[in-house]
Amino acid sequence: MKEPKIVAFLCNWCSYAGADLAGVSRLQYPPNVRIVRVPCSGRVDPLFILTALKHTDGVLTAGCHPGDCHYTSGNLVARRKFTLLKSLLEFVGIEEKRVQFDWISAAEGNRFAARIRDVTEEVKGLEPWDRWGGRQDG
Amino acid sequence: MDKCIREIRDKAQELLETGQVEVVIGFTAGTLPGKSTPCFITRGEDCKLLVWDEGCKNNLANYLLKEKRKAAIIIKGCDSRSLVNLLTENQLSRDRVVILGAPCPLTEGCEGCQIKSPVIYDYLVSGKAGKTGEDDFHDVKTFARLSPQERKEYFYKEVSKCIRCYACRNACPACYCRECFVENNLPQWVGKSTQLADNLIFHLTRALHVAGRCVDCGACQRACPMGVDLRILNRKMLLEVKELYQFEAGLKEEQELPLNTYDPGDPEPFLAGGGEA
Repeated sequence: MKEPKIVAFLCNWCSYAGADLAGVSRLQYPPNVRIVRVPCSGRVDPLFILTALKHTDGVLTAGCHPGDCHYTSGNLVARRKFTLLKSLLEFVGIEEKRVQFDWISAAEGNRFAARIRDVTEEVKGLEPWDRWGGRQDG
Repeated sequence: MDKCIREIRDKAQELLETGQVEVVIGFTAGTLPGKSTPCFITRGEDCKLLVWDEGCKNNLANYLLKEKRKAAIIIKGCDSRSLVNLLTENQLSRDRVVILGAPCPLTEGCEGCQIKSPVIYDYLVSGKAGKTGEDDFHDVKTFARLSPQERKEYFYKEVSKCIRCYACRNACPACYCRECFVENNLPQWVGKSTQLADNLIFHLTRALHVAGRCVDCGACQRACPMGVDLRILNRKMLLEVKELYQFEAGLKEEQELPLNTYDPGDPEPFLAGGGEA
């Protein structure tokens, strides 16, 4: 298949810094990912993820580890939203690997690079995504 | 049911004539057989027009949101759960509404209904509500056993019928945002066309917006002119919230909605590998 396009929503305080660390450490990871920096994983509205899937093939959302949120509880509130979103998507037949979540700290550059490699490989392994029935190539 | 409606009429008349309320929200006979229509009664002598029968299906809690006058409302089980939610979410002040609770008039009832008698009321009309069973969510569980491909096909087929009239949202007492995300232009969160993609995003987002607040009254599905199976999404969320957070909306007056809070030990099934690291 063509190279998949993947969007990553990264929280400003941990995961984005983790991506930055991967960059300054010159770690290699696939160029398929497009990063969107958000203030907190709590800012990630399920609507962002659903809309991203209209234009791309996979979504990764990452934030601070539970307990490490810059705003104390942003990621804890996000957790419940993500739980329901993911179960709803699986319920309507969307593959588990298409929408992924992770906790990545600012010190985990390696984990970030590995995660992007995994997500890219896993999305490549799925049937081509119809982009909510409106697939236009690109 | 005769006794029941007599009690409702008498009480409504008394409330209006003694000036305790300015309007009574209830049902009157509709123009079609089997369909009663919501009505707003302001004069005591008009209370004889009230009915309480098979056709009283709408969720009346919805009408309280826009009612500026001091109102009495006649409610059944599911309406009362919606009312509890509205009170929890500070959309109503309790002292502006007089609640006339009545047993659900639907003899058949709705599948999975658990509460036919109101959970909150100022006056309870006597009468026996129909039987209620334990909701085993067999519809959701049966659907979940289909292959992902079959589930996706079914969901796409259902949602492609949607004409985006938003009747589901308007009928829903949990959907009271003054500015709904579908009508926003700056930014435009979701396309306004009836293209499949926009329809899918609309229905999934709506299911998530009412998750943990939906009382499964079925108003959305009854309002839908295209017969879209909307309830299956809401019921999936109902089941998840019940199993993960041990919560059912609107059953207790003192409640904290599950998506307004968190627990440090919440499960993380959305992580790769189900969160078992």
